[in-house]
Amino acid sequence: MRLSDIAIGVSMAMLALLLSYLIVYGGLGPIATLNLRPLAVSFLNYTYNPWKIVYSAMSPEAVTAIVWDFRGLDTYFETSVLFIAIVGLIALFRGANVVQGVSSKGLSIIVKTSTKLVAPLILVAGASLAFHGHLSPGGGFQGGSFMTVAMTLLAIAFSIEFFQQKKLTLNRLLAIRCIGLLAIVVVSVYLLVKAVLLGGYAYIFQNMPRINSQYSMPSWFLDRPLAGILFFFNLSESIAVIGGLTLGVVLLLLREEELKAIIGGGEHE
Amino acid sequence: MIVVSEMLPVIMAFVAALISIVATWLAVQERDMLIATLFSALQSTCYALIYYLLMAPDIVLVYLPVSVGILPLITIILIKKTERYEE
Amino acid sequence: MSSATTFLLTTIMISFIINIAISLYGVFAKPSLVKKFIALTIFSDSVNSFAILIGFRRTPLGYPSIAVMPSPPQSVEDLKRFVSEAVDPVPQALVLTAVVIGLAVNMFLVGLIMLYYKYYGSTSTRRVKI
Repeated sequence: MRLSDIAIGVSMAMLALLLSYLIVYGGLGPIATLNLRPLAVSFLNYTYNPWKIVYSAMSPEAVTAIVWDFRGLDTYFETSVLFIAIVGLIALFRGANVVQGVSSKGLSIIVKTSTKLVAPLILVAGASLAFHGHLSPGGGFQGGSFMTVAMTLLAIAFSIEFFQQKKLTLNRLLAIRCIGLLAIVVVSVYLLVKAVLLGGYAYIFQNMPRINSQYSMPSWFLDRPLAGILFFFNLSESIAVIGGLTLGVVLLLLREEELKAIIGGGEHE
Repeated sequence: MIVVSEMLPVIMAFVAALISIVATWLAVQERDMLIATLFSALQSTCYALIYYLLMAPDIVLVYLPVSVGILPLITIILIKKTERYEE
Repeated sequence: MSSATTFLLTTIMISFIINIAISLYGVFAKPSLVKKFIALTIFSDSVNSFAILIGFRRTPLGYPSIAVMPSPPQSVEDLKRFVSEAVDPVPQALVLTAVVIGLAVNMFLVGLIMLYYKYYGSTSTRRVKI
């Protein structure tokens, strides 16, 4: 074992000791107290408060209300960071297309039959998570990630030429992602456009009526709470996530013949 | 006095945290990359159990498909296209 | 009973710190690029776990409950009872964002390592002189 490895190991052990020393004297805050911080008390109070609707988000789920209503701009820019990473992947592999007739058409017939039974169940479970994200734990990212796992199962068991034959090309997956992002933008400025046309004030990302604007999204649906803007955001985010992550995985699964056009094969230093 | 039935969730989280330390050490010092990926997925499963016992169900529903589904998948694709044994 | 719970929670936090130290050692000292990538994902998971552990709370009646209302409240007492026994929801929202951004950066890193291997012929940082 080299000298540099021993030096790195000793310095990591000293880092662990320093962090433990800080925790003993309360540097990261007390662990498991009896009272919550005032910000958390305020968010929990106003997440479903029909007596003070001017401050509230009208959704029984506190975490989804914080992610999409109280701190909605953070989530908007996080979605754009995911989009930038996918654009970077496309720029690395630019000029590559799926070539037909290269491989032996996927795995054996036992794997194909069992995937045909399991993949629709996973897709339905993911869609259900995205639909009731405002009533119980769930939401847009959770549903989109579940559905991405089902799509990669299909891509591996049936080979990516199957996607090409069913007209699900790389351009179309990118279009699905862009449709999801457009839906998010339209929903977030909908009340602002309505206020400009009909007179009065409104804000972007506005959910319920605020102090000096009386427009609001619907907050009940027949007999259960539909938390206005949160439901539409969950739907659009799940569509955007399934398009973007499937595109990323299919780009990484491209084969040698398709990549030779990009690299030019075997340049060593 | 210590009542075991009330403290059972915290004791389970303690055991899962100890197993995760062992899995991390085995993943870092292994020379076969495929087995290192398996140990990393085992550590992610222990962490998902700890998140559930700390009352964070939204995090569990994001962490399971990302860290036990998509990340080991793209790591195995990377191992297939590059080298399998270290050095 | 409360001192035993504090002891177990402090041990869980120290296990996160030990994981951070081991994975950082793996990032710096191992020569293979794929090993550095695996250790980097373990590092980011352990740092996210700190935030979720800080959001935990203790209630006088036993274990706390999740930050979701089981049904719309009918009176102000229901709301006060929910606030007095629910966990802190703010760290969970921040960790959600951090996990998604980590996934995006890791997918881009895998694409970069693949092209690095095709150009230089090896994934070992000791054999390639740039």
